[in-house]
Amino acid sequence: MDLLQISAVILLIATFGIVVRRGFSDWVHAYRYQTIILAVIVSLIATVTNILELYLVAALTFGIKAIAIPKILFYVTKKLDSPIKLEINPYVTLRSSVIISALLVIMSYFIALQLPIRSNEIVSVFLPVSFSLFFIGLFIIISRRKALSQIVGLLTLENGLFLSALVLTNGFALTIEIGLMVDILVSVVVSSILLFRMSQTFDSVDIRNLESLRDD
Amino acid sequence: MLTETVSPAISILMMSLLLTPIISTIIVTLLKIKRIIGVVTIISSLIILIQSLLLIFFILDKKTISVLDGVLYVDSLSGVMIITISTVGFLSSLYSVNYMGKQYDKLLVDEKKLVRYYQGFNMFLFTMLLVPLSNNLGIMWIAIEATTLVSVLLIMLYVKQSSIEASWKYLMIATVGLSLALFGTIFFYYANSVSDRSLDSIKGMDWTNMVENAHNFDPSLVKFAFIFILVGFGTKAGIAPMHTWLPDAHSEAPSPISALLSGVLLNCAIYGILRFHIISSQSIGSEFSNTLLIILGVFSIGISAASIYFQKDVKRMLAFSSVEHMGIISVAIGFGSIIAIYGALLHIINHAFVKSLLFFSSGSISQKYQTKSISDISGIIRIMPITGFMFLIGGLAIIGLPPFNIFMSEFLILSSGFSSGNFLASTFVIFFLIIIFAGFGKHLVKMVFGNPKLEMIKENWDISVIPMIILVFVIFVMGIYVPDPLQLLIEDASRIVLVGEVNH
Repeated sequence: MDLLQISAVILLIATFGIVVRRGFSDWVHAYRYQTIILAVIVSLIATVTNILELYLVAALTFGIKAIAIPKILFYVTKKLDSPIKLEINPYVTLRSSVIISALLVIMSYFIALQLPIRSNEIVSVFLPVSFSLFFIGLFIIISRRKALSQIVGLLTLENGLFLSALVLTNGFALTIEIGLMVDILVSVVVSSILLFRMSQTFDSVDIRNLESLRDD
Repeated sequence: MLTETVSPAISILMMSLLLTPIISTIIVTLLKIKRIIGVVTIISSLIILIQSLLLIFFILDKKTISVLDGVLYVDSLSGVMIITISTVGFLSSLYSVNYMGKQYDKLLVDEKKLVRYYQGFNMFLFTMLLVPLSNNLGIMWIAIEATTLVSVLLIMLYVKQSSIEASWKYLMIATVGLSLALFGTIFFYYANSVSDRSLDSIKGMDWTNMVENAHNFDPSLVKFAFIFILVGFGTKAGIAPMHTWLPDAHSEAPSPISALLSGVLLNCAIYGILRFHIISSQSIGSEFSNTLLIILGVFSIGISAASIYFQKDVKRMLAFSSVEHMGIISVAIGFGSIIAIYGALLHIINHAFVKSLLFFSSGSISQKYQTKSISDISGIIRIMPITGFMFLIGGLAIIGLPPFNIFMSEFLILSSGFSSGNFLASTFVIFFLIIIFAGFGKHLVKMVFGNPKLEMIKENWDISVIPMIILVFVIFVMGIYVPDPLQLLIEDASRIVLVGEVNH
């Protein structure tokens, strides 16, 4: 079914949108696109597998992750005192970030092939993509210097987890899915509070400031 | 296996155990009066403690209890956790009132922050209690992640650069770590859903169900998944090399919270590892997970030995000592004999008591000296005779001197290590323990007996010593013998770890 492959490709493109941009709000936009496509994918899988519960999960994904969380993050971006809302010099340059992310995608396909998992159409299309999201999210967290991009990295990583749970086991039970989403929502709120505190105390959200606690 | 009907009293008990901290949070939120909210928290923690003790006796009687259609499930292994959480939680609430009162008098916190503190404290207890009570491994994961979120809020109670740094690192590293654990959980769930097609999606994540089906799991998938679990929950448990957030977070938190973080929360993560360790052992035998646990455990003890020896900050030293003890517990589980696992579970309880005693006393000490730096603290025994004595007892206990409780469990663990043929690992552990003994002992003697640098007013009696006196008493008693019900509980629990269920 071509629709599945197309949606998988769009999901990857949206994820690369986070990797190639510098601005705070660009990341949040890219994350929102990524999540909207994710919600579409969930409903596609719901149609293919004929599991009605998944439509509800898709709606939840859309409501919490594509509307509520970006809203919070946009609010945070707007309110932050820091005048510079750009990732000026990340630990890894954007150009190499793109190359590394591409390598991570290849690695994900490789890993997905190695796993002893019974393959079907959904698994073969989406499992590598979900791994890619996971690894790219991890990469964003360790390669960026602005705290906000770490949050977006974390959310990307979480989307990857969500997708892999979905394709492997047709998703968690609804109660657990709701619990997970609440966890994510709360963690975004908590990290936003921390971001505010950080920008008030350090006048920036650069995590280079966070290196004073150590043993020497 | 769990068909026996449970009397409604027990299900009400288990649910009210979870509801008590929530109700207490609501009362704290509504009242907002400085004097009352502390007392409310003490009362609710006391109720939790009483309910836990009741539940333990039911567990000893029935071995396994599952209520609410198997959503809540307890056995002796959960019992060990519940008793630790509720005891340390109660003592910590007792200590909180005095400690936070002093912080309030020093204008370090205002009334609004006190409300936030007690809200956080109660929710923290709730999330930790949910971990051992839930049968569903997905819910268990959600609870462990929730402990991170609540404790981050508690660590950043003081708006200081260092506490913001500590909470950010903690939030990021712990969440990333836990997401790896969720990956592992997904793979176990997948293995279970492949092996048993008839499962519906919520039962498929139940621990009891996974243990039953474990022998049908694909071995290579189990290995792959267990590595994720170990790295993930290991991050949260402060096992090296994923421990980097721990000394920051535990040293920046308010002292009663440090006690909960070090003494109890780390155990919740260990508990998560244990549950999956049991599934994995049932599936592919215990050798694979045992080897990993021993390697990571020995590494943790080694890392903390070096850090303790050269440590300059007293609370960081205590935090690294938690890394050490989590390492010891991990090694002990890895040794895999019944005595070693008994020792590990006993060590979980012993460490929780001793570490909270140390955090309570060091909290009072650093409040008095207004510093956490080891070089600025000396002559505690002269300035604060009572607290200093407690600190000394705690310090001597934590480095494993007889006749205190840690000596008992460490002795059990090491002797079973040699008898189970793990000579290399046991030798390394002993070697590192000697370094820690020297390092911690050196700092301890200097702080307790050195000449006081400043002229300071001697301490007066206040209620902060009450929880410490209780702890010292418990440490002494547990060093001589383990009370029979507790011994039975731990024996049952170690049998669960070893063979998957208690009825064998």
